[in-house]
Amino acid sequence: MAMNLNRRTFLKTASLAVAGIPLAKVVARAETGIAKAPLIPPGSFKDTKTVTGGVCEMCFWRCQLVGKIRGDRLVKLEGNPKSIDNGRNLCARGNSGIKLVYDPDRLKYPMKNIGKRGAPKWQKISWDEALNICAEKLQATIDKYGPKGIAIWYHGASSHYPNAYFDYLGVPNKYEPAFYQCRGQTAMAMMQTLGFVPNEDVDMPNSKAMLLVGCHIGENIHLSHVKNFVRGVENGSKVVVVDPRFSAAAAKAHIWVKIKPGTDTAFLLGLMNYMFDKDIYNKTFVKKYCLGLKRLKKHVAEWTVAKTAKECDIPGKQLVEVAELLAENSPHVSVHPGRHAAWYGNDFQRVRANACLTAILGAIDCPGGIVRIKRMSIGHVHWPEVEHDEDPEDFALAEMEEKHPFHPPGTPPEMMRDTMISGKPYPIKSMVIWGTNSIKTMPDQEKTMKALANMDFVMVSDVSPTDITMWADILLPEASYLERYDHVESGTQWDQGDTPRQFIAPRMPIIKPMFERKDPVWVINELAKKMGHGKDIPVKTQEEFVDRLLKKDNLSIAKLRKLDGIYIQPGESPYLKKGEEPEFPTDSGKIELYSEAMADEDFPPLPTYTRTEEPPRGFARMIYGRSPVQTFNRTANNAWLAREMPENPLWINDESAKKMGLKDGDRVFLENQDGKRSASSTVIKVTPGIRQDCVFLAHGYGTFNPAMTVGYHKGIDDNSLNTKINREGETGISGMRINFVRIIKDGKVINIPA
Amino acid sequence: MQYGMIIDLNRCVGCHACAVACRAEWEIPVQFARNWLRRLGPAKTAHGLAATYYPGLCNHCAHPACVEVCPADTKMVTFKDVKTGRTKNMEVAATWKDPFNGTVQIDKKRCLGCGACADACPYGARYVNPDLADDDSDGKADKCTYCMPRVAVGLQPACVQTCLAEARIFGDLDDPESEVSKYVKKGAVGLTSKNVQIGPNSRYFGNKKDMALLMTQAPQEMPEANSRRSMLAGLLRPARQQAETIGLAGAAATFLGKALDDEEKG
Repeated sequence: MAMNLNRRTFLKTASLAVAGIPLAKVVARAETGIAKAPLIPPGSFKDTKTVTGGVCEMCFWRCQLVGKIRGDRLVKLEGNPKSIDNGRNLCARGNSGIKLVYDPDRLKYPMKNIGKRGAPKWQKISWDEALNICAEKLQATIDKYGPKGIAIWYHGASSHYPNAYFDYLGVPNKYEPAFYQCRGQTAMAMMQTLGFVPNEDVDMPNSKAMLLVGCHIGENIHLSHVKNFVRGVENGSKVVVVDPRFSAAAAKAHIWVKIKPGTDTAFLLGLMNYMFDKDIYNKTFVKKYCLGLKRLKKHVAEWTVAKTAKECDIPGKQLVEVAELLAENSPHVSVHPGRHAAWYGNDFQRVRANACLTAILGAIDCPGGIVRIKRMSIGHVHWPEVEHDEDPEDFALAEMEEKHPFHPPGTPPEMMRDTMISGKPYPIKSMVIWGTNSIKTMPDQEKTMKALANMDFVMVSDVSPTDITMWADILLPEASYLERYDHVESGTQWDQGDTPRQFIAPRMPIIKPMFERKDPVWVINELAKKMGHGKDIPVKTQEEFVDRLLKKDNLSIAKLRKLDGIYIQPGESPYLKKGEEPEFPTDSGKIELYSEAMADEDFPPLPTYTRTEEPPRGFARMIYGRSPVQTFNRTANNAWLAREMPENPLWINDESAKKMGLKDGDRVFLENQDGKRSASSTVIKVTPGIRQDCVFLAHGYGTFNPAMTVGYHKGIDDNSLNTKINREGETGISGMRINFVRIIKDGKVINIPA
Repeated sequence: MQYGMIIDLNRCVGCHACAVACRAEWEIPVQFARNWLRRLGPAKTAHGLAATYYPGLCNHCAHPACVEVCPADTKMVTFKDVKTGRTKNMEVAATWKDPFNGTVQIDKKRCLGCGACADACPYGARYVNPDLADDDSDGKADKCTYCMPRVAVGLQPACVQTCLAEARIFGDLDDPESEVSKYVKKGAVGLTSKNVQIGPNSRYFGNKKDMALLMTQAPQEMPEANSRRSMLAGLLRPARQQAETIGLAGAAATFLGKALDDEEKG
């Protein structure tokens, strides 16, 4: 495997060898990272030059970094000392970018699948040939079915320019997993209630108390967000963590609410009811800025302490303790909005409840609360607006079927997938997949494979040979984030309580791309020319792309180079000044505890709890989360990260484990309620820190594509066990914690006791 | 001066950045490590349910077990204090405790790669890389150096620099005003136990339950081979020795004989 890689192994891993690539082309060179360890390593600061302007994309938080280059080799990544966001720090993944750059398994050349979709045989072809095929096939689809015959699934900074091109072509079918398998509801339900989207702009360092529902900060690492949390803890903020599992955040909490999975909305309603009952909510704030108090009070009245405690399987006095703690520290309470919300298929309502709780605590625009951070805005690059025979808006699937009125930008992916299979309401026949591994992101993998099998053409662009690349007809190798210009990061100093400053940091390459990897601006422009749209190209190069984004703030790549990659200017505090009135840009101009817009669409206008299905006898709910050393499946092939956490241990309650005869370290497979078994195994982690009705593992393991030699079949692919779907009405987003599993050990099924 | 490292577990979130930054800084092959992050718990402790982390590294001990057992030929080496310019001559094998900064270092050129030092360390802080074997060695021992080359040019140790929680603090334990000294006064302790008390200078600070969980990682015994190897190494050193060692040679032979007999009996 890549960890003990030598020249021979490297050559063996290349299925390129099968297709008759001349060996000279794949010989290991110094750039490919196969080097003997030095006797006395010099250290990154010796005989290196520091290249500034890096912006990380090992996850999507986008820390600013520098690279240390020795000769032509990148030897270390570090935080940019000038950064007011991450400073000199980088997380494990940020530090490991080197092993992405030099990963021998990484895509190197454009390739054509001369085998089958899902069982590929790769033939190296030229860029010209690859893009000719893409142009021809995409145009054929447009000619026969209109631009609506194409769908693009995309993710990450590298996909933004391609996405803009497909907008220009009039393609209505698109989605980002960031919304539809993650934070779609967090955005839309907050928008519906507060009139704006806070994202995770919650001022933890300056809070007196924090409520984290499900947030496992510390296992999820967004660098400066974690800094915020740690500083809040250190400043004495009282932390309440609501989680069926004793997460990294729970480990630092004052109160751990060991809640029954699926009942969080009831908990939030119970908190609100208690506060109303005892009159300890923030009356002034609610009177001035909220609409629907009376109706909300009446609506939550059924959630007495006793009823809530029973539903959530927690002690009643704990609910009281939490409610009183939050109320007494109002308004300086961080009610964390959450991020990944796609839990049970009823999540819009939970985020609404979260927003309402925040509102009745008055915890907005003040130290410790939700803050509207003032960042510099950045320019955009659009292709010119053109007339289409078919207006793409008329063919957006959710609107056509009058479903999911509160869906986030894009189209619910499962609607596209169903359409790809059925051809109704119209055929989708060409797929463009850009920087997202749909096999690991979308529940019901079999259906995804079926949908792709039905396509006339599948085009995939990626950095690594992730699972989805096995379904490409044409596979394009992308320059990684360290090898290209694209994203412009805009932010502030990481603690809102510190002197306000703003920064802009464009992503600039640290090193040149090797082999034939290309940046997406070049790729799309070449594709556009071949499709006859050369005259409408808005920016000729990736540099021009970034310069255009920077122009809005009177900046440029040249200027930023002179500033070590980061432009900083004085900022503005997000806290309301004395006498300043907050604005809530909803329909009513107030925070909508009660939402008329939702009532109009026949959805509950007040946050409402619905029960989620219980595990069948013998099964436990499979809940997933993040690992601090992985970013979903993207990092699964990274040798340094794989070393830190090679598999995703399955957390199981110690009492259950005892009854089942399971020990720490036992190797197991999983089987779900539909009889689907995991293709690979993991180890058991026996702990009292999780309820008996659920088991937990980190998402992103269990790589399916053997071409990812480090990650292949390491750990269990939790998504492979997501065969049941529960799509919520408001947004079209499916919950992914609604599948249940039991253990397979040594070939035998072991039921999980109730 | 005695350099020391403090890990503040109240801040540490177990992100593993320190382990990776060290690896990157010093080009450590992926199968080895100079430092590590062990995830502990959730587990019940006397003070409640806890989950914390053991960010481990060499302790640059007051009485390093590794230094005693190195069988390489000794050499007279002149050590220099970077601060004052003072020098000191010491007879050292291929590993030693620096007389001026208290760190434990390795001479890669003279290391035999025998692994005695790695075996002797109760913390498992050292490893031997067999790929670096040459005509005179079976490989090379390696471990955390407290990033002395970085410190020499005014940089922080790589792990300290990258830590996003500011949970790692580095400095001079002999300076009462230093951050690390303040942590020691607050109660930061090394991983010791009844039978392992070699004076670790990498120390940990945290709340009661986290420290209780961390202390389960403290080694409970000195490695078995230690005393035998110690004697063996002492005997193999050339005649030019410090007075105490020569004085012990007679007793050492008896001891060694008994120890080897015990080994054979199993």
